[in-house]
Amino acid sequence: MTHPAPPRAARSTAGRRRARSSAARRRAAAAALLTLAAPLALAGCGGDSGAELVRTGADTPQRGGTLVYATDREPNCLDPHNNGDMPQTYVARQYLDSLVSLQKDGSVKPWLATSWKISADGKRYDFTLKKGVKFTDGTDFDADAVVANFKQILDPDTQSSTDLLYLTGYFDKATALDSHHVRITLKRPYSPLLPALAQAFFGMESPKAMARGLSANCESPVGTGPFKVVRWNHERDVQLVRNDDYTSPPADAKNQGTAYLDSITWKFLKDNTTRYAALASGEADVIFNVPPESQETAQADPDIELQEFVHSGAPFSLELNTTSSVFADLRVRQAFLHASDAKDAVLSAYNHVFPYAGNAISSGTPRYDKANAEPYPYDEDKANQLLDAAGWTGRDAEGYRTKDGKSLTVRFPYNADSGETPPADVTLFQDIQAMEKRVGIKVQLQAVDSSTLNATREDPSSFDLAATYWNSPTPHVMYIKYSKATFDVDNGQDLAYAYNTALDKVLIKGTATTDAATQQKLYSQAQKLLTDQAWSLSLYPIQTRLGISKDVKGVWIEPSEGEPVLSDAYLIGGKR
Amino acid sequence: MPAWILHVARRVLTAATLLLAVGTIVFFLEQAVPGDPAVAILGGTAAHPTKEAVEAVTQAYGFDQPVLVQYLHFLSGLLRLDFGDSYTLKQPVTEVIGTQLGPTLLLTVTALGLAWVLSVTSVLLTAGRRGVWGRIGSAVETIAAGLPQFWLGLVLLLVFAVRLQLFPVLGTGVAGLVLPALTLAIPLAGFLGQVTRDEFEDKLRQPFVLSGRSRGVSEARLRAASVLRHAALPGITLSGWGLGSLISGAVIVEIIFARQGLGQVLVTAVNAQDLPLVIGITFVVALSYVVANLLTDLAYVAVDPRLRTTVRRTA
Repeated sequence: MTHPAPPRAARSTAGRRRARSSAARRRAAAAALLTLAAPLALAGCGGDSGAELVRTGADTPQRGGTLVYATDREPNCLDPHNNGDMPQTYVARQYLDSLVSLQKDGSVKPWLATSWKISADGKRYDFTLKKGVKFTDGTDFDADAVVANFKQILDPDTQSSTDLLYLTGYFDKATALDSHHVRITLKRPYSPLLPALAQAFFGMESPKAMARGLSANCESPVGTGPFKVVRWNHERDVQLVRNDDYTSPPADAKNQGTAYLDSITWKFLKDNTTRYAALASGEADVIFNVPPESQETAQADPDIELQEFVHSGAPFSLELNTTSSVFADLRVRQAFLHASDAKDAVLSAYNHVFPYAGNAISSGTPRYDKANAEPYPYDEDKANQLLDAAGWTGRDAEGYRTKDGKSLTVRFPYNADSGETPPADVTLFQDIQAMEKRVGIKVQLQAVDSSTLNATREDPSSFDLAATYWNSPTPHVMYIKYSKATFDVDNGQDLAYAYNTALDKVLIKGTATTDAATQQKLYSQAQKLLTDQAWSLSLYPIQTRLGISKDVKGVWIEPSEGEPVLSDAYLIGGKR
Repeated sequence: MPAWILHVARRVLTAATLLLAVGTIVFFLEQAVPGDPAVAILGGTAAHPTKEAVEAVTQAYGFDQPVLVQYLHFLSGLLRLDFGDSYTLKQPVTEVIGTQLGPTLLLTVTALGLAWVLSVTSVLLTAGRRGVWGRIGSAVETIAAGLPQFWLGLVLLLVFAVRLQLFPVLGTGVAGLVLPALTLAIPLAGFLGQVTRDEFEDKLRQPFVLSGRSRGVSEARLRAASVLRHAALPGITLSGWGLGSLISGAVIVEIIFARQGLGQVLVTAVNAQDLPLVIGITFVVALSYVVANLLTDLAYVAVDPRLRTTVRRTA
């Protein structure tokens, strides 16, 4: 009692292995309060203020410590130029910097590019690059490096999927104007370019490292980012340490210096129960994708903070295959949407944890128009009228509608893997199935393995409904999903197998302007047009949902792909 | 001496033939899997790879060649024990397996050991006992044998790691091995206990037990030393199968307790149609069955002296 320990010391006695359960942590907090109360009681005797120490402890970033981040899915490759799946972009954000940093409103701020100029015709982007930036392998980040990145992305050996979808058809070439100026030349105007480049999918990598080939680059890509990859222990974790020479935080980062954390253990905990248990027991500091079933427990736990972010892009939806004999008819599509009661189905399957998203783009997308938030409200009568009008007037023995002796059956194959289709999704599908039955539509749920599902996508006649989502930082995602160009590319993106000339025109106009008001007008029109087509039954937005221990501060989620930013994060108590 | 070598040579040849057959079956099964492997390599249809990208991968991996050519190519690799590179992970299959095999073996061997400890304890304490103890032992074994691992794992996790905090949630170190190993061990212990108990109770009725008793050997010593030795044989036979099934079934435990291991890799590989990796892991599992059976034979000899003399006589 002679020298009251500040709470920081009280914490460090717990060591790296902190109090294990939330209850135990609460006890630890109570103990900290006691040590705090002691100096307050002694304050009269001239002791310093313990309360002040606590406040400093929480609000001033402290250096040091290892943060354990636990996520559900493991990437196949740590180089996000390859393939392009979400787990890649989340982890890549920690060791790669992009040229620009996206803001919620769709604008961008400087990052590795300090400024840029867009030519009047919208086909030339001249970037000025930050000087004095080095990759963590010691090589310089310069105009040649940017050019090399685009080369690598376009090289078939890189096996890129996502990046190519943003570049194909628009990107012509990247040229170094001098050491710190680079020009991107486009085939046609493309205003989504900057938001696209903000994604960690377009993070800048060291040309020297990329030259090692895909195999080495997948294991340990090298960037200019706040952390660097030390080791990837497959099926367990990726070890990241701070880049002590970091000089290139984005303009919107609160921390403009090197990261506060010494290191990050990026763990893979597929099982929902385990992942949440790791957070509750203090074995993980931050978890990605708080299981919906644990949401209530997490909210009630004062030691856990929840951060939720709605991804920009196309929400999770069921696409209505317009080449199928059933959904070729607009009236049947509209009836299907009206009968689904999608809003209640989502809210009930996901315990009101996931919001309903009825629009073709999610509410997190720039130029989202809430006029289309609930485009086809539940209406059994209307659905019945539409089906009658479409000629599905007969009934079979089971009560399903028929037309010309054929029953109104909708085949819906979905991935049986619970990692791809979580149990709540299956509940959601079953709810919709039950609702459709009321109006006489028979939905056949077909749980199949990934290979079989891939095969169905190669044969449009083998399914009527397909579940999908597409995260994208721009409303141009509507074009990516439903345009003549996408339809012609036939890469399984346009699962409605449909396009609309008017929609194409509006969306292409959108790419030709960078003016926010004009874009808003055009993209609102597009959303309305898409709603009218009834090509898809939108269900819920894709989200980044983080569960964060109260001992961690400063974590935020960037808006291009919902990537968690840990360069601003710090542990209360610093080193543990 | 030469007979001994012949015995080993025959064993090795059988194993090699078996592995070749396994490899061939898996190869043609993978050919029969629907869906384009090139699309799977590019992240599946959900990744929406462009046609050009699919084309490039198809050529790079030779998917456009006739199946027979692909098979010969596969065979020649197999002979050199070169499984190639994993399609998805881009790493040599041997390397991927090398890093994942250790944790899986540690888990399964520990689980097998634990299963024996549990089943022997249960049998020694309760088998052949009249009244309630014998029935309880038998009932516990039957229930244990029927416990599904995915359920048992979660229950152990929630009770012992989350609520009682006796063990960590994430399986690292020795403390982290206990719950995963128990998850695998308890159902197996049930099986082992059941077969050992039947045999044990049968052997208890043998004349040698009576003669032991009449010589004044204590009941406990009689059970632990003489009867158990006789009764263990069926359990040992089952262990060979048990070890193999533990390795192929480790995946559930590996996922729940977030352990590194082959099981997780196999599931990912199958989903991604990663042929080289699937074949590599299937090989390892098949090999583990072969080795386990070999060990079973040796254990037989160690436990049953009669077999020892027979072997010596033939040698």
